[in-house]
Amino acid sequence: MAITAQLFITCLHEQFYPNALKGMVSVLESLGVQVEMPEAQTCCGQPFYNTGFQSQARTVARQWLAAFGKTDGYIVAPSGSCVDMVHHHYLELFPKGDSEHETVKRAVERTYEFTSFLVDVLGVTDVGARFPHKVTYHASCHGLRGLGLREQPRQLLAAVRDLELIPLPQEDTCCGFGGAFSVIYPEVSESMMVTKVRNIEATGAEVVVAGDAGCLMNIAGGLRRAKSPIRTMHIAEVLASR
Amino acid sequence: MSTAREEILSKIRATLGHPSSNGKASAPPDVTSSVPARALGDVNVDVDAVLGELAKVGATPRRIRRREDLHAALGALVASEGVKKATLWDTEDIRALGIADTLTALGVEVVPGNADKHVLAECDLGVTGVDLTLPETGTLVLRSSAEKPRAVSLLPRVHLALLRPSAIRPDLHQVFEEVGGEHYFVFVTGPSRTADIELTLTIGVHGPGALYVWALEESV
Amino acid sequence: MTHTVTHIDFRANTQHVPPHMPPSVQKATSKFLGNRAALVDIIGQDNWQALRQAGHDLRMHAIDHLDTYLEQVEQRVTEAGGHVHWARDAEEARQIVLDIAREHGVKRVVKSKSMATEEIELNHALQAADISVVETDLGEYIIQLAGVTPSHIIVPAVHLTKEGIADLFHEKLGIEAPPDPKVLTQIAHEKLREEFLNADMGISGANFIVAETGTIVVVSNEGNARMCTTLPPLHVAVVGIDKVVPDMQSLAVLLKLLARSATGQKMSCYTSFITGPRRETDEGGPQEFHLVLLDNGRTRVLQDDVTRETMLCIRCGACLNTCPVYNSVGGHAYGWVYSGPIGAILAPQLLGTKVASDLPFASSLCGACGEICPVKIPIPQILLRLRHRVMEGDSVEPAVSPPSARTAADVGAAVFASPFLYTTAARTASVAQTPLSRGGWIGSMPPPLNRWTDVRPFPTLQGGFRTWWHEHTPEAPDPSLTSQVHETPAMSEAPAESIDVVTKEVGVPSVTADEPKVTVSPDEAVPVSRDGSRRRRAAQVVAVAAAIGFIAYGIREWRRRS
Repeated sequence: MAITAQLFITCLHEQFYPNALKGMVSVLESLGVQVEMPEAQTCCGQPFYNTGFQSQARTVARQWLAAFGKTDGYIVAPSGSCVDMVHHHYLELFPKGDSEHETVKRAVERTYEFTSFLVDVLGVTDVGARFPHKVTYHASCHGLRGLGLREQPRQLLAAVRDLELIPLPQEDTCCGFGGAFSVIYPEVSESMMVTKVRNIEATGAEVVVAGDAGCLMNIAGGLRRAKSPIRTMHIAEVLASR
Repeated sequence: MSTAREEILSKIRATLGHPSSNGKASAPPDVTSSVPARALGDVNVDVDAVLGELAKVGATPRRIRRREDLHAALGALVASEGVKKATLWDTEDIRALGIADTLTALGVEVVPGNADKHVLAECDLGVTGVDLTLPETGTLVLRSSAEKPRAVSLLPRVHLALLRPSAIRPDLHQVFEEVGGEHYFVFVTGPSRTADIELTLTIGVHGPGALYVWALEESV
Repeated sequence: MTHTVTHIDFRANTQHVPPHMPPSVQKATSKFLGNRAALVDIIGQDNWQALRQAGHDLRMHAIDHLDTYLEQVEQRVTEAGGHVHWARDAEEARQIVLDIAREHGVKRVVKSKSMATEEIELNHALQAADISVVETDLGEYIIQLAGVTPSHIIVPAVHLTKEGIADLFHEKLGIEAPPDPKVLTQIAHEKLREEFLNADMGISGANFIVAETGTIVVVSNEGNARMCTTLPPLHVAVVGIDKVVPDMQSLAVLLKLLARSATGQKMSCYTSFITGPRRETDEGGPQEFHLVLLDNGRTRVLQDDVTRETMLCIRCGACLNTCPVYNSVGGHAYGWVYSGPIGAILAPQLLGTKVASDLPFASSLCGACGEICPVKIPIPQILLRLRHRVMEGDSVEPAVSPPSARTAADVGAAVFASPFLYTTAARTASVAQTPLSRGGWIGSMPPPLNRWTDVRPFPTLQGGFRTWWHEHTPEAPDPSLTSQVHETPAMSEAPAESIDVVTKEVGVPSVTADEPKVTVSPDEAVPVSRDGSRRRRAAQVVAVAAAIGFIAYGIREWRRRS
């Protein structure tokens, strides 16, 4: 009755946060999940979709389908924004009448963000983690509003032993990454990032945790610019800590 | 003008994908029960609710239980607000309450509500009744007619609204059932206000800067 | 002088935001949000969501039957003794109002707050015809004196300080006053009272038009809208055709949503319900009433089944209040009368993407606006649809992006769609970053990526996960944890709802360009043979070497020039 999970590693996490992926693998395996990784995956196509290039997004999405379409079990990503792309935009790219529509529909139904997979599918909130640090949590936008992941990350963090969770002021407010937005309107992105960094520093936490690589890159860069010792970690890394 | 009309309508029809209108839309969705309707309770509780909401927005509410109290209150109002000139609605209730006579006796010059707007603009006080009211928000609903001229509740710097408990309605839906077809009515929920300057609340802008709401027992 | 917006340069605008603008704006927005949240708590989340859904549905119904309802409005207003005019664009609307004014020998106009009249730049037209027009909403009065456009839908002068306003009154009105809001308001009150009483014509907008009765609804707090629509003998209302509401019962839902969403009041101070002119002389009110129904691009908004929902907007400003972009830069950066998230979707549709192509990108797609909108406009979805319109064009407008952007996207897509090219690119970047990185960070990158590094450092690529995956030994399941696992049986439950929502709402996207169809056979997808993978590795090394050579050259050139 082993549950199978196909790792959807996402372009940003693969390139910049392999530790998040390793953490995810560790947690899933310790929960008895059969983990596999389709080699042919690259990217879900979101950068193209979000910049208005839907035809190109479709091209890249086809590769995602080729990688995941014929696999078994669930498809799990450590990213609310990539999963949001698949859930909310793939059926727009491959609507009824398109030859890939049924394949997409079946794949969409199996695709989950990591914390949602743990809580909503496996029914688990305690993954046996221990992380004796002061932590504050930034609620990444696509996971929060796109997928409705309000409670799952919190429930998981609450079960981590010796973790002291300090509420982040304006935790729901966007950090200013927004994908291409960060380089199209860098001044506005900067303003939002500075606000987020100030809020994080004000908590006195040692670590800030988020669920998406984009947020982490932006916030980590901002903290470094502010010469702050506060570390950034993906929630999967925290959950894999023993 | 008909060219513009036809062009706009035909653009709309072309986009919505239907031919020239057969004059009927399907019925709009029934939204009257979208939120549980507020029920009316004890009338005293409801009157207090209306007055309570109005107090929150800067109106000056009170209850009046006897005719003598009304006259005394008018005297106090005239004195405290320095009322020299006043205007009022000409409804049966206002006449029966003897408002005009009481004001005149207090030395106030009373002008009819249908006087020229420049004259009405000189009035310090405007007295109206209240056609309907809502406990949830403290909103006063005022109709318009020869008896109930619009400027009475608008031009003077003080508006006194005399409220009867029979005006209370449970919900906006009921209010619209009753007055929805009227050619003019206005909702008043407090004295005029603005926060346009640095978001600092200032009471009294163009509409009356003071709103007195007196809930009269039916016996008054 | 009429300003015709030719192109909105959002980035340039954001580089010139006066330093006091964001704090002033945030003071207002946080107040409104706090008040709103308190009232939503009182109503209860479930009730509030039910109201939002009802508001959405009834407005959607009105838009879906817009022609029928507009005809009904015309019929009812005419029956009530009013006059109805139709204006295809701003110029036509201005002309209609001017004609009415001229016919009646109008010399003085008082105006209450109306975004539609700002859209059509009505004041300039009247002033050019020697007709004096005074904005009577205090915030609008102030910005009229200052000669600027509104910075927020609800509080247009929120970016100005009381000191600035006192100076303004001194300069333009010749009145010395302390920077005290009460005193300044009193000055405006006295100046405007004289205008109200002597105006020949009052111009207003309307928050809603009720089709069932032909009633225009005007919401205000100051009483100036009541003055403008009651005291002058002639009243002209300029209203967008999107303001239609089917009936009074529907209006009740919208009134429950509007003030709470806008400023966090249960009800605004005044709401006027006006159907035609006065009936009796003695009641007071205008003898003559004109309604100008304004298109000005709204019929174009209807053309796309997703962007059509832009028309549901009830102009409450809640999306502005919650938007982190708006709160960072204020309203002027959006370059037109509508700002914030609603401005970002409305301006490109009313003005066209050629003028406003920057605006759909003026968002980090955080989704806060869609969450707060009282009539559930899917603003993020519309932003994405408009980005597509800008970059690739659709049935409504051709693309306005430069061909080079589309070529770059094609190249990018080809790389990302091919596992070989993708991994090659990643390896190339890993090596190429070496001279630029220090301690895990890249401090500066060549254009255009310097837009990132000018703000904060970029992390170095790490990669190596796939290798780790192949080499790692799977962890043994932990019995103390596995006992907790109960797989939720109906695994399709959670996302299926979103599937229905998506397929219901979304039409077939238009196919514009020939899309390179990449079909990857299962065999190609996974390296099956050792020989195959060795050949692949060799090809990669060559490609990486070539790419590094190219990049090294590029970096040297960049360093040489800067």
